[in-house]
Amino acid sequence: MEKIKETQGSGQINILQDALKTTIEKVRDEKDEKTKRKLIRQIERYNNRIDMLRSGRRISRQTRKNLVAYSFIAPNFIGFCVFTLIPIVFAFALAFMNWDGSNPVSFEGFNNFKRLASDTFFKAALKNTIIYCVGTVPLTMIASLALAIVLNQKVIGRGIFRTIAFFPYVASLVAITSVWKMLFHPSKGPVNNILFTFFHIPQDALPQWFSGSLCVISMILFSVWKYMGYYMVIYLAGLQGISKELYEAASLDGAGTWNQFRYITWPQLSATTFFVVVMLTINCFKVYDVAVMLAGGGSGELTVSATVLVYYIYQKAFIDWDLGYSSAVAMVLFLMVLIVTIIQFRGQARKEA
Amino acid sequence: MKKKVISLVLSAAMIASLLAGCGGAAVESAPATDVQEVAEAVQEEAPAPEPEAAAEEVTEEAAEPVTLKWAIWDESTTQYWGDIKAAYEAKNPNVTIEMVDLGSTDYMTVLATELSGSGSDFDVVTIKDVPGYATLVQKNAIIPLDDYISADGVDLSKYAGATDQVVVDGKLYELPFRNDFWVLFYNKDIFDAANVDYPTNDMTWAEYDELARKVTDTSFGSQIYGAHYHTWRSTVQLCSVLDGKHTILDGEYDFMRPYYEMVLNQEADGVCRKYTDLKTEGLHYSAAFSGGDVAMLNMGSWFIATMLTNLASGEYDPSLCGNWGIVKYPHAEGVEPGSTLGTITGLSVTSACDTPDAAWDFVKWVSGEEGAAVMASSGNFPAIMTDEVKTAITGLEGFPADDASKEALNVANLYLEVPYGENVSEINSILDSYHGSIMTGEMSIDDGLAAMSQEVSALLK
Repeated sequence: MEKIKETQGSGQINILQDALKTTIEKVRDEKDEKTKRKLIRQIERYNNRIDMLRSGRRISRQTRKNLVAYSFIAPNFIGFCVFTLIPIVFAFALAFMNWDGSNPVSFEGFNNFKRLASDTFFKAALKNTIIYCVGTVPLTMIASLALAIVLNQKVIGRGIFRTIAFFPYVASLVAITSVWKMLFHPSKGPVNNILFTFFHIPQDALPQWFSGSLCVISMILFSVWKYMGYYMVIYLAGLQGISKELYEAASLDGAGTWNQFRYITWPQLSATTFFVVVMLTINCFKVYDVAVMLAGGGSGELTVSATVLVYYIYQKAFIDWDLGYSSAVAMVLFLMVLIVTIIQFRGQARKEA
Repeated sequence: MKKKVISLVLSAAMIASLLAGCGGAAVESAPATDVQEVAEAVQEEAPAPEPEAAAEEVTEEAAEPVTLKWAIWDESTTQYWGDIKAAYEAKNPNVTIEMVDLGSTDYMTVLATELSGSGSDFDVVTIKDVPGYATLVQKNAIIPLDDYISADGVDLSKYAGATDQVVVDGKLYELPFRNDFWVLFYNKDIFDAANVDYPTNDMTWAEYDELARKVTDTSFGSQIYGAHYHTWRSTVQLCSVLDGKHTILDGEYDFMRPYYEMVLNQEADGVCRKYTDLKTEGLHYSAAFSGGDVAMLNMGSWFIATMLTNLASGEYDPSLCGNWGIVKYPHAEGVEPGSTLGTITGLSVTSACDTPDAAWDFVKWVSGEEGAAVMASSGNFPAIMTDEVKTAITGLEGFPADDASKEALNVANLYLEVPYGENVSEINSILDSYHGSIMTGEMSIDDGLAAMSQEVSALLK
């Protein structure tokens, strides 16, 4: 019995080795990269089989090595699966279903997405989010770049000014929104008081900073002020990475400050700007805290003029328990961020090419 | 390729183990019933002994310890939770009530999350508002109590019609133990100083408006506001449902117009604080009233207990608001005085509860007469209003001594702020949102009401 098995084994090995040889030859002649890679994988497989038959083990050495490696990855991967991968996949699936968290899930197809088209609150949230992004991203970028350039010069008290500019980013959102609300209080705030006393704007015409269409503008102003310090630090790092020789050479050629900025600083900062814009856009689409804190009043409820997508997702999911619909809204948000980011990546790739 | 396969296998194995974890409980319960059945069979087979043994068994069963997990809010600042627990445990020594405080701000949201899926271990939950109640009913998280009610002969007429307004498809899922109704608080000192008669228990809204304007003083530095409306929708919009002809579930909201007009005109004339100001500074109604510059405040009866405690403790300055009184809510022309808004707080048994009979007994006790007595002892309004309860509350230290204030506690018709209806949670969100839009002036009253009607009727279709 043993002997028969052995001879059978060696016979198989011979067959395999022949096959191996022919494939190796094929690989040498092959020009197409894809088929070449395929053939190389085939060779690996033959090698493993031969190895297995020779050693007489069920699991080849290679497989065992792989298993050990996977077992090291497993703890992290399981965590990633449970807390990230499965929820993400589930959220995608939910967008096509109807579920309230307790009763059985039912399949809805594209109904959730059809409902979006006639939903006033969704449209308002989408509009406000887009206005907020379009306002916040360029303004924050310009403000932080300007700050970075000024504070990169040798000015007196540079460290103090940098700290001051960075401070709003570190300060608690709740605390500073309270201060903003006092400053912009519609009838008692100093801002409206100044408008009233010095600019003689009649009392009825004083701006209502936290309601109506002004609400989103207040949110934009607040965000620019709060987050410009953070992006200033990133720009500062970018500015310090630009070689001094470039400026020296430019000034020898007679380039003024503006031309230096136009032809040296700005192109040299393009990678930083790209990072800043991507981060800003994503953060802007995610806006929730600023809206609820500034316009939510005591109850945290947002009216049509202040509602944003993330708030609406929360409301639909955890107040109305319409998880499928809220996932559909979340998908819209996801797609928007994805599209904007892809466009930016493309633009950046073209610039670098 | 291989890596992909292995990662797939890994994730598949994980999902399988997850499923196995979920299924575990169901599998486990099967042998348990087996054991029970066997035990019962053994008992049956055993020669029926003396009646003595049987009696012993009964007492043993009665003494079997039960723990009921009860969801509540604000345990440290609300006295009655502890009172109820103590009183019930004293009466039922085998029952332990375990209170879990979920906080009051988003209590119903947290509760709905807790009761989602099958992992919940709450037995009795407090129902804070009707939209949240509707959510729990739709999620099948709480059980109908009708069988228990008819078996134990609970008389629902004691609740003066409040329970009829939360019936879902002919079934009742909660019993109220606390019932707050809206009254008009007023500051007597302000009326005395302005030499104006006090509000009465029989006022129409027009008379109320006139009175508010009479005591208002808009001169800078010594402003007196004739009225105050908290930022809740109820304070303005729900005055309109008190004629008994309309509810917020109608889908057509033009009937709310007079009340929005009244309040916005008052705002424009400085009779009350501006909604946008209140929203921005987050001024609480209690701070507004205790500040001594508000003549009249429409608010729920829960504020009575707040006034009593805070005046006694010295937190409110008695020289500013110590001389206060209450009268019945103003009423629409041609409607019986004493029609008012109400809010019930109820108890429900969860569908996940292992001991529904014990949980029901607790619910029945708290919402019954004995529970009512416990509630009244701390100045709160129980769902069952008896004369004793009224005497208990009006007899509390610091309660306004005039007869009108005592008479104000007699309610003729009680309309829930939110009666049960399908989609009530969504309707509530829509009305809240447009209420904000109207009050901040983002939308005209016409546009706001039209938008409400349009959105809600689309939902009701």
